Parts: sequence; structure tokens; C-alpha cells
Amino acid sequence: MRVPLSWLRDYVDVQLEPDRLAECLTILGMEVQRVERWGSDWQGVVVGELLAVEKHPRADRLSLTRVRVDDGEPLEIVCGATNIAPGQRVPVALPGAVLPGGRSIERTEKLGFVSNGMLCSGDELHLTGDAEGILILPPETPLGARLTDLYGDWVLDVDVKPNRGDALCLLGVAREVSAATGAQVRLPDTVVDERGVPVADRLAVEIEDTHLCPRFVGRWVSGVRVGPSPDSVQARLLAAGLRPVSNVVDATNYVMLELGKPIHAFDAATVARDAGGRARIVVRPARTGERLETLDHAERELGPETLLIADRSGPLAIAGVMGGAASEVSEATTEVIIESAIFDPVSIRRTAFRYALRSEASLRFEKGQEARLARVGADRVSRLVSAWSGGTVAPGRVDSAPDEPQPGRVAFRPARIRRLLGTDLDAAEQRALLARVGVETEPAAAATPVPVAAQPRPLAVPAAAGEALIAVVPTWRRDLVIEADVAEEIARVAGYDTLPTKTPDTAMPPWRPDPLELRDALRSVLVGAGLTEVVTPALVAPGHAEFAWPVGAADGIAGEERTAGRPIRVTNPLSENRSVLRPGLVASLLDVLAWNERHGRNDVAIFELGKGYAAAPDGTAGEWWRLGFLLAGDVGAATWNQPARPYDTADARGLVELVARIAGLTPPDWTPHRDGSPLHPGRAALASARGAGGTPSLAGLVGELHPDVAAAWDLRASRVLAGELAIARLSGGGRAPTHARPLSRHPAVERDLAVVVAEAVPAGPVAATIRTAAGERLADLRLFDVYRGSPLGPGEKSLAWRLVFESPDGPLAEADIEAAMARVGAALLTGHGGRVRI
Amino acid sequence: MDRETLTAQLRAFRDEALRELAAARGEDALEALDVHYLGRRGGVLSGLMRGIGALPAEDRPAVGAVVNEIRSEVEGALAAARAAARADALAVRLDHEGEDMTAPGRPIARGVPHPIVETVARIAEVFGQFGFVTYEGPEVESDITNFQMLNIPPDHPARDLWDTLYVDLDGGLLRTHTSPGQIRVMHAEQPPIRALLPGRCFRYEAVDASHASEFFQVEGLMVDEGTSMADLRGQLDEFGHAMFGRGRATRFRPGYYPFTEPSVAFDIGCVMCDGSGCPACSRTGWMTILGAGMVHPVVLQYGGIDPERYQGFAFGMGVERIAMLRHGIGDLRLFLENDLRFLEQFR
Ligand SMILES: [Zn+2]
Repeated sequence: MRVPLSWLRDYVDVQLEPDRLAECLTILGMEVQRVERWGSDWQGVVVGELLAVEKHPRADRLSLTRVRVDDGEPLEIVCGATNIAPGQRVPVALPGAVLPGGRSIERTEKLGFVSNGMLCSGDELHLTGDAEGILILPPETPLGARLTDLYGDWVLDVDVKPNRGDALCLLGVAREVSAATGAQVRLPDTVVDERGVPVADRLAVEIEDTHLCPRFVGRWVSGVRVGPSPDSVQARLLAAGLRPVSNVVDATNYVMLELGKPIHAFDAATVARDAGGRARIVVRPARTGERLETLDHAERELGPETLLIADRSGPLAIAGVMGGAASEVSEATTEVIIESAIFDPVSIRRTAFRYALRSEASLRFEKGQEARLARVGADRVSRLVSAWSGGTVAPGRVDSAPDEPQPGRVAFRPARIRRLLGTDLDAAEQRALLARVGVETEPAAAATPVPVAAQPRPLAVPAAAGEALIAVVPTWRRDLVIEADVAEEIARVAGYDTLPTKTPDTAMPPWRPDPLELRDALRSVLVGAGLTEVVTPALVAPGHAEFAWPVGAADGIAGEERTAGRPIRVTNPLSENRSVLRPGLVASLLDVLAWNERHGRNDVAIFELGKGYAAAPDGTAGEWWRLGFLLAGDVGAATWNQPARPYDTADARGLVELVARIAGLTPPDWTPHRDGSPLHPGRAALASARGAGGTPSLAGLVGELHPDVAAAWDLRASRVLAGELAIARLSGGGRAPTHARPLSRHPAVERDLAVVVAEAVPAGPVAATIRTAAGERLADLRLFDVYRGSPLGPGEKSLAWRLVFESPDGPLAEADIEAAMARVGAALLTGHGGRVRI
Repeated sequence: MDRETLTAQLRAFRDEALRELAAARGEDALEALDVHYLGRRGGVLSGLMRGIGALPAEDRPAVGAVVNEIRSEVEGALAAARAAARADALAVRLDHEGEDMTAPGRPIARGVPHPIVETVARIAEVFGQFGFVTYEGPEVESDITNFQMLNIPPDHPARDLWDTLYVDLDGGLLRTHTSPGQIRVMHAEQPPIRALLPGRCFRYEAVDASHASEFFQVEGLMVDEGTSMADLRGQLDEFGHAMFGRGRATRFRPGYYPFTEPSVAFDIGCVMCDGSGCPACSRTGWMTILGAGMVHPVVLQYGGIDPERYQGFAFGMGVERIAMLRHGIGDLRLFLENDLRFLEQFR
């Protein structure tokens, strides 16, 4: 809310400098987000006196004026306005001046006459709403004075929190200033000079649902002359951020900003009369099919959830949200009905959302209003309408609920508040602090219920004798309901910075495994392996969500299941590109690659630890953790001592082997995956690895991207390797400790073995055969060469393996190793048609 | 031949051999001299020794002693010459093996951790020192868990603080904050509770330099019988100092959240101007880094905890905000764009 300081001073004395005041309010909980120098954009605008006004000889609509701004030579200025006359004091923008909006004023020539500046309208200065004529200043305005010095102001932008609707007005902020500085609050004058026919003979109000409209106060002003408000009022409204409209409408807006009470004025002539000749207003829900043209000239379809101000012939206004065009106060209006009502906050909030009409008025209604304000606001507006538009106020009010509620009473225990705040403020100190915000206190009788919680199960604790006090809460403070609310009030008036500072010395919770442990281990290892971590949006385009990257046997991995189901869609997306929760990570990694290629970066090695999502058939959301990675371009840039090498599928498999090792799993088994898109049919494989006890613990799909998919992403890279893995405990849980084996005291024995197989025989099954046949003393198996060519036949290859045998319990006998090698040879022959090269 | 002649010949041999050894260059020349003078067959010394047999028996021991003396003298000289020659040869080799030790080393490939995840880890580390343990909750929540159990009923004006993305599941929405985790932790644990809840959050928010529709938060929760607002203040001070330096000013002031009462906004002295006022801090000298407060009794009740016996504090912070202030990053969009030129700065 914008608070012009000069206006605030109507209600409370402010001695503090604006910046200091802003700090005081912020520390009190009324956060001042900005302190603005209002009028600082009037540069080079001074007060001048018109000495002469003559017709321009060549243009009817222009005048030649002479203006005195100081003791020197008068300035000749050409002006297009018609409301000027000699002797008037007016704002003069001198050559070189800059006006609001950055408009600069220079010496110009207009049809043969030089204009040494410009006379300004209120609108050009953003000082009043009048764009037609020059702003005529009061005759006593000092000549030559800078306009900034005369009309400039400080405006505080206060962020009033949703629970403090009472502070969404100048009076409310004044109360906070009073709490901070001790200065007295001055209430605006609401005394009304009443004359003529009583309002009861002119206006009748009928309320169908008092829950939706607990109070309606109506007043009547006759004989108004609608026109512009006084310039000073317009200046205040503009500084506070509202456009001036007319003296009647401005009065309602003025009181809304002043007291926080939204009020509506109707042209009484447009309201249907009853049999007694009285204008008759009904507050009722709209009926299906009713329509209303609102003030913004939009035709609105109404329905039963919308509360209306209506008359016999139909809707006049949407209650609390916006008036109707037909009953609007216009220049022809002479009789005005003032509506100052209280509405159900929820109903107003819903209606404002329904019509996308959240206004200054509805914002205040939806925070709740105290009933008393309906009366005070009606009186205040009547007084201002009468003062600014010359009307007379009819005696009395039409009031649907004249009984006003008493202040609320909240019991609290000073000792309990000390425990909550960690302070040693005694009861007397707490009472003194509350008094500064108008909360009086009195002793509570024994067994007075102290409200600890209001919902979901109301909890009130009976006070022991002498233990509790009662806070008598001013009617406007709707936010003080339970004991903790009183605690906050005490703390904020004392100043949060007066609270003690200590580190917690209460009991520590028991140890718990860190759910991030495995993810953190993988992160540091992958970063060490040259991959950069990325974090990408979980919301993707629908096309991305359909990008299928099956991770294989993930369904068997405890805690990492892929929930079978459809993608989860956002029903109110910001854009189609961010409308679906992604099922996996690879498509997002392709986006990252594409972005970096577009920015000239072709060597990309990245990974992400993130979630996939889908809706399960039972309507619940499934979320699971995945590790995704992508490799494109070269492994590092070529340097003088190391040539560049393009990433290939072996790098991708190597990463999976590394991950399996870090996760404490067996080396992964590979199964070729020939399904095609999104992967190269000859360069893709499913990985699976098991944990201790042989449980499935890692599953994933790894390979080279299909050229069609690369083209769909507009990728430049000739090869893109990608993989996505489900890993047990990725979603939370520690890593099992390594179990160390005793070292063998006997040297290991190495044997090399080359086996010739058909080109189509993959290495993975061959390795599995060797492992099985060699027996448990095989400690390591490594493929160290693959050879094709003479003397091998066409369509043959030779796989060269190094076998390392170890025995923990005794020296290896040569015969045992020979026997194992013989078993391997035989198994390779029967299993793969392989022959061992001698 | 008599004793004197042979002795004179031996001495002449010695002088010649020592002269030749001194003049010889290289291990090959020394090897040739070794063979020539000391060779067991055909060596000069062997030839001279054959003359000993012709001497009278009483002269032989004396001449034999001279032979031994001269042999060991020549052998010693030969060994010394060989050692010198080897040292010379090694010096020459090492001299030839010199490399350009100023040329760049072979690069060791290393990636970079993402600053968001690193910042979360740093936050968890700081609070971990104070006994906070990490929990995680789901990202798809419901109106009940994301709002109602946090004391934000339907149609409450405070809902304006969270523009929400809804999903096509019954009552489902994308969590707007990590605060629903408070309830989940309270259901899972009994006091004393010290919990940290990091995670991804979502808002209906147009993306620009300071707004994101996806972002990360870290929630903290501590509940016990005596956990007070003074504890909260001290805990946040420690955090501010850990993240932004021991000398960093902090400010504890009222804020507003429906799920805390009293509510707190926590500021640090502006990291750009150190408190003197600049555009980055709207000339206030302060920057808000997190919201906090004492857990509202409603929230404790929804968590199954008696609000009369127990009390506690909670706080929530935007990870991006912390990372931006720590690293001097001016644009929120950089975090999810993953431009490697940006990420690779974070070694
Ligand atoms: Zn600053």
C-alpha cells in the first residue's frame, strides 16, 4: 500500500525522517519495501504568474502569454489551454525541464512565435487528473518556488500482510506509527451536518442473507454538483496510486484509503422506488441468467454464488467487487446513495476471482472488516461528499445491524509466553507492551479458558488462579485470537531484536541415515569422472513426456519402481512447454545439449539426479529417483600432450560400471536392446546389476541416440550417448559398508587366452562362460584385445582375455590352473563355437 | 733375468698403465686398457709375471709382493676411472633428457557439481552440525497437505502468497513450498525433532530474472518442550554467519506466515553494500534470506503433537536466493538453463 507521508500526518505526528520511519515500521512488522520521493520527476518546474494572455494571431486555439517566474525578464510562452487569465499562478516548465514519463521541455517555435517553456496541466505533472486546463495554483503560492518543494512528498510502499487488513489504510498505519513512537492517533472528523428529509423516508434496504451481508449502512446526499475534487485531494489520491474521477467517487476512494472501508456511491435517480416513494435496495444472491454491465463496461453473466446490490428491476452492482454502469454517479447526478456495508469475506474473494476483478475494494473486503467501520465510513464519506460537492446530507442512517460488537477477550499466561519467546519479560512488562497497540489487559479469574489452538481441535487450557491475564482486543484487530497471537504482539512491540539469542540446548534427536548419502557419493564420483551436474525443470512439454526411455527391469528394484501409468498433467500450466511432469530425465538432458550446442559448445558430458513422475491407476502420484547422463562430442579438448577422442558407447558402459561399483553392486550384465528409436538398434543395451544377496539393484538403458531422434532435437553432434538408471537406495538410504576380504599370502597367477569366435558372438556372454568355467578362484577377468584379420578367416574375430587366479587358502597348483583353463576351452567351444588360439 | 730388471720392468709397466688410464676417455677405452694390461691371458701384466718363474726361489716372494702392489694400484685406478666415466656419461644423458617444464600439464577431466545442489549440501552441513537430520517429502501434494494442514484454509486471503500449479489428480497440486514436510516429519517422529527438508517446489509464476516456476527450498523444523523463539534467533544467526561470514550483520523482524505464530523474517546485511544502502537492497542495507517462526498450534495439532506441552520453530529458505547472494549471481534463470559456461565457473 502506498502511504503519502503528508497525508499520514493528518492522523499522527511524525517527527522521524522518512528512512528512519520506514525502518521503524519494518521492525514492527509493517515492511516498507520502498521509500519514494513523490514529485522528484518534476525537474525544472517552478511557480509563475501570468502577466498577459493574448490570442495567437495565426491560431485560434493558441494563446501568447507572458509569465513572470522571478525578478528578471518575463518569459514568452505559447499555450493551448483556455482556462488561463492574467494574475493566475501556474506551474511553468522551463526549457530543459523534464516531466513525469521522461518528457523533456525545450525552447520551441510555434507558428512564428518562440515558446520559452510550457505551462503545465495537473495531468502532465501527475498532480491532478485534469488534462484539459492548466493547473491553477492558489494565489498565495510563492513565485519562483520549485514545484517539488511545494507539492513533493514522500511515499512509503508498505507491504501489509494478509492478516492485518486493519492496517490497509492510513489510519491503520498511523496506529502502527503510534505504537512505534508513542505519538497520539487523531481520528478523522465524522461529524455530519444533517438537513432535510430523513433518510428513512428516502431509502429502504432489505437483506436476504445476513450471513453474506452482516451489516448495511445507507446514507443519502441531496443536491450534489458532480465535478472534480479539490486539487489537494486529487494530488493525494494520485500519490497513493488512485486516479481521481469525480468529487463523489473520490470521496469514497479517499475514505477507503483513509479508514480501509470500501464504500460505493449510487446515482439515487437510477434506483427503483417502492410504493412509499423510497428508493429500495435489496442485497441478494444473483439469479441464474441475470446480467449486469459493470463500471468497466463489460457485460457480466451472473449466477447464484454472486452477491448483488439490486433493486426491483434488477442488479445495480456486484457487492463488494464492482458497481454497475447504469447506476454510476455521473455529471448529471444530483442525489447520491452511500452504501457502506460488511460482506462475507469468502464470498467476496470467490466472486472477485470468478470475474477476475480483484480491486482495491475486494482486497479489503476479503480480509474481513469490523462491523463498526460500516457506520464510521458512511458518516465520513457523507461529510466529504457534502464538503466537496456542495450537497446536503439527509438526517440519519439506514442501518441493518446497528448493534456493534464488543472488543474480543483473549486470555493468556505471561509465563507461557515467556517459555514460547524465551524471554524474561514479566507480566507488568507484557501489559505495558500490549497497551502501546491499544490492547488493554485485566486479571483473569481462576479457570478462565486460555485459547491455545482454535483448530482443528479447539484447545483451551483452564488457567490457574493468578496465572492468566485477559487481553481486551480492539475491534479492528481481527488477528488476535489465541495465546500465541498475543505472544507475537508482545514480541513485535518489544522489538524482535530485543529477544535473547542462544543456540538450542534441548535434547538431540536420535541418529537417522542421511537419505542423500548415495546420491552425494554418485555426484562426487561422476564429477570426478569428468561429468558436470545439471538440474533441469521437472515440467516439460507433452512431446517430451511421450519420449520413452524404458529403464528395463526397474520394476523389480525396491523403492525405485516405475509406477505404471499416464503422465501427470498440470491443469493450469503457465505454458504448454511446462505442462507435464516428466517420466524420466533423458529428454531434459537432450535439451541441455541442444542449448549448449546453440551457444557454441559441442563437447558436453552431463548428469542429473532427478525424479520421474506418473499417475498410478489408483489416482495417486508416483515419484521415483533416476540417474541420467549424456555424453556428446570429445572427451576433453585436444592439447599438445593428449589428442581429443570422441565419446563412444564404451564410455557410457564404463560409467555404468563405475556407478555399480560405487553403489556396491556386481559388475553390470549387458543385454543388447534392438528396439530402435530412441536408440541406435545396434548400439544400445540394458544394464542390470545385483547387490549383496543377489537382489536386483540397478537397471537401466544405455546407448547411442538414434539419428532420427538427434535430428528431432536439432542436434549437431554426430554421436550422442545417453543412459538412465534406476538404482536401489537412490531415493534415500545409506550405503552398506564394504566387507574386506583377507589378502592371499600366495602370488596370483595370470594366464592369457585368445579365443576365435564368429563376428556375431558378443563379448558379454563369452565373459560369463569363462567366469563360470574357470571357477571361484578366478579373481579378475579382462578383455585386453580384439583382433580381426590374417590368419583368421573372414567373419571371425579373436578375443584376448587375461585371467587372474588367486587362492586365499594355499598356493595354486599348476595342475589346478591347467585344469581350469581346459574347462574354459571346452566351455567356449560348446557354448560359442570358439576355438582357443595357441 | 734378474730380480732388479724384472722389478724395473714392473714399475715401468705401472707408470705406463697409470698414464694410459689417466688419458683414456669413455668406458669402452677403459675396457680395452683393462684387457690390454690386466687381461688374464695375453695381458701385459700376465706376461711380466711369467718372468717370476725364472727367478731364484729366494727372490720370488719379494717380486710377487711388488706384483700384487702394482696390480692393486692399477686396478684401483681403473675402477676410479670407470666410476668417473659412468658419472660423465650419466651427466651427459640427463642433460639430453631435459623437458620443457613450463608447458601445460596433461589435463585431468573433472566436471562440476551444480550450484543449487551444492548449496543444499552446504546448508545441510551447517544445520547438521546442530543436530538437524535430513528428510524428503513428495512433490505432488494435495490442497490438504500443502495448505489446510498448514493453517491455510480454502479461500483464505493468505493464499495469495502462493500461486499454485494444480495437476489432474484428485485434489492434487505441485507443492508450493517444502512446508508440508513439517507435518510428515511430525507424523514420523516424536519430539525432540530437528529436521531439515530440502526439495523442489513449484509456483504459477512467469519466469524472469527474479522469478521461477520451479525452484528449490530447504525447510527446517525443531520441536521440543522448551524450543523457544530465542533458540530460533540464535540458530538463524549461526546459519547467517556460516553462510555469509562471521562478521555479517543479521536482523530478526516480524514476518507473516499462516503456519507460524509469531512469524519472523530474517535479514542479513546487504552483501553488495555491507549495509550502507544500494539498489540491490532497495537502499535499506538489508536482504531477506528466509522466513521463519514458531510453529502454529494448528500445525502442531495436525502433526499429532500437543501444542500445550510442545512448541517449536520452523524456517524455510529459497536455495537459489542463498546461492545468488553467495556467488553474486544476478539472474535466476541461469540455474535451470545449464549453460556449461555458467556451470563450469563453480569449481
Ligand atoms: Zn545494499
